[in-house]
Amino acid sequence: MTPDIVETVNVAREIAWLPWAVQYFFLIGLSYGAWLVSLPGLVFRRRGWEGISRLALLAALVCGLTAPVALLADLHQPGRFWHFYAYFTPTSWMSWGAFFIPVYLTGLILYAWLAFRPALARHAEEGGKLAGLARALAYGGHESRKALIAAALLTFVGAALVALYTGVEVMLVRARPLWHTPLLPVQFFVTALAGGLGLALVFNRALPGGGDPAATRRMAVALALTQLVALLVGAVWLVLGLSGMSPVHAQALAEVAPSANWKVSAVWAVVATVVTLALAVRRPGSGLLIGLLALHSAWMMRWTIFIGGQEVPKTGAGYYSYQLPLGPEGLMGIVGTAGLWIFLFVVLTTLLPLDRIGQAERVGA
Amino acid sequence: MKDEEPREVSASRRAFLRGIPVLTAAAAALPAPALAADSKHHWAMLVDVRKCIGCQACTVACIQENAVPEGSFRTIVSTYSVKLADAEQPAGTYMLPRLCNHCEAPPCIPVCPVGATFKRDDGIVVVDGDRCVGCAYCVQACPYDARFINHATNKADKCTFCAHRVDAGLLPACVETCVGGARIFGDLNDPQGELRRRLDAAKAEVKVLKPEQGTEPRVFYIGLDERFQGKVEGQGTLWQPRKAHG
Repeated sequence: MTPDIVETVNVAREIAWLPWAVQYFFLIGLSYGAWLVSLPGLVFRRRGWEGISRLALLAALVCGLTAPVALLADLHQPGRFWHFYAYFTPTSWMSWGAFFIPVYLTGLILYAWLAFRPALARHAEEGGKLAGLARALAYGGHESRKALIAAALLTFVGAALVALYTGVEVMLVRARPLWHTPLLPVQFFVTALAGGLGLALVFNRALPGGGDPAATRRMAVALALTQLVALLVGAVWLVLGLSGMSPVHAQALAEVAPSANWKVSAVWAVVATVVTLALAVRRPGSGLLIGLLALHSAWMMRWTIFIGGQEVPKTGAGYYSYQLPLGPEGLMGIVGTAGLWIFLFVVLTTLLPLDRIGQAERVGA
Repeated sequence: MKDEEPREVSASRRAFLRGIPVLTAAAAALPAPALAADSKHHWAMLVDVRKCIGCQACTVACIQENAVPEGSFRTIVSTYSVKLADAEQPAGTYMLPRLCNHCEAPPCIPVCPVGATFKRDDGIVVVDGDRCVGCAYCVQACPYDARFINHATNKADKCTFCAHRVDAGLLPACVETCVGGARIFGDLNDPQGELRRRLDAAKAEVKVLKPEQGTEPRVFYIGLDERFQGKVEGQGTLWQPRKAHG
């Protein structure tokens, strides 16, 4: 008979990767996810994708510019960020990540500039807001397809590396069985792509007239596919854990299975994914609801993995209980990141209004 | 009254320890740790759990010696109330001193993105506070929950075996203060040293925490019940220092 054990004295370790980290992984995921959605219209010139791809590019840009700030804020010594470049450590995926992020962002900014140049020039010609700045940024407003493709290649390399490192960096943490599953990077990627599609759908809905219904339907199909893949990956994870075929997954499952909180989170995730899938297939509507649902799932997944994962003690009994602090180490981190996101969105859409991004290019395409 | 309390605790502990058959399990015995070749010394610690009385003197001494901020701990004696099956008493108390294991293959080192954490030639794992960016990747990677972010310095923090004291020829504060003599600190390279002699004498009983992680800890335990060797299955403590102290 196994005696019952009650822990009477032990240290409760605090969350060390703060909500800032959740925001970073959420935003950088949305960014590369949305960037992938920009490819059909802008690089592959698929008919009907032009407007939505430009909206997705805006989403990638706003999220991509916000994400590193959240990452920086998650450091407890943000002023020492330059140490990443002064003391490169090849054994650390985080160290590599410090180099991958600039590659991605350089490519993204270049790609976005090349893609938006003609629209910026038109905005300036028509006397839109900040016309002078738009004219200067357009720098002639030429459309350069070869340069765009070259920038897309650079961005692709950066995006692939960012997707890889953000997944592997967490997956490698053997001390946390929940993180240490080979499926985690896949789950990050699939939910990131779904989130990117979701944000583009929300932008599309914000266009005058609610956006192009055909584009909404196309996006809904793509979103439905991501949800299907997410469910399949989740099912594989669960089967591997329940069957004991994969000790890593079994250990991860065993860690969280006794917790009521985790059961609720799991049911929540499955229901949200199924509802998104069903709505996307049967009633995509304006795309707003499914878009928001996809964004919600992408964020919840990261919150659960990072914050929930850190609530599991590595040695002690039971679970640590986390309460979101209201200050910079908690709620303000989330609000602050959202505030920066909104600021960048306002600045960019003042320079190049949403309807111009989403609609004008169809005329020229 | 003060004289009676320790006896009660001790009796319950003895009863509990008697009820643990796994203590004699030689199957889990570790091979004797290899001698470090590169350095004169290779510091390590042996914790004799049977001698720990859970007084937390080590916890307090460490806090005082290393100015550990309130609510954080470089070492602590995890204490468990354990239901007994075959004893007159309903429950016993199990004490398990925890600290950085100064692993031979420390998972905290390769993940550090700026090379701030490293293993000295004498085996002590330390953090270069001038280089640490406070990313907390090492905190995540440590399988023993031994690392934390120090709120006073905003850097990764952990037990250093009191390296500053060891370098001056002194014992770590926790060892020096240990009431029951449960912590033995010494040099693995010294065949005549107490640590080596005790490790050799207790070969079959010497264990480490989470051996399956492959970290090769250099903190060894005698009297380590296998139920406490990894993540403990039981009811978690309700005491959370940060909440208690605001």
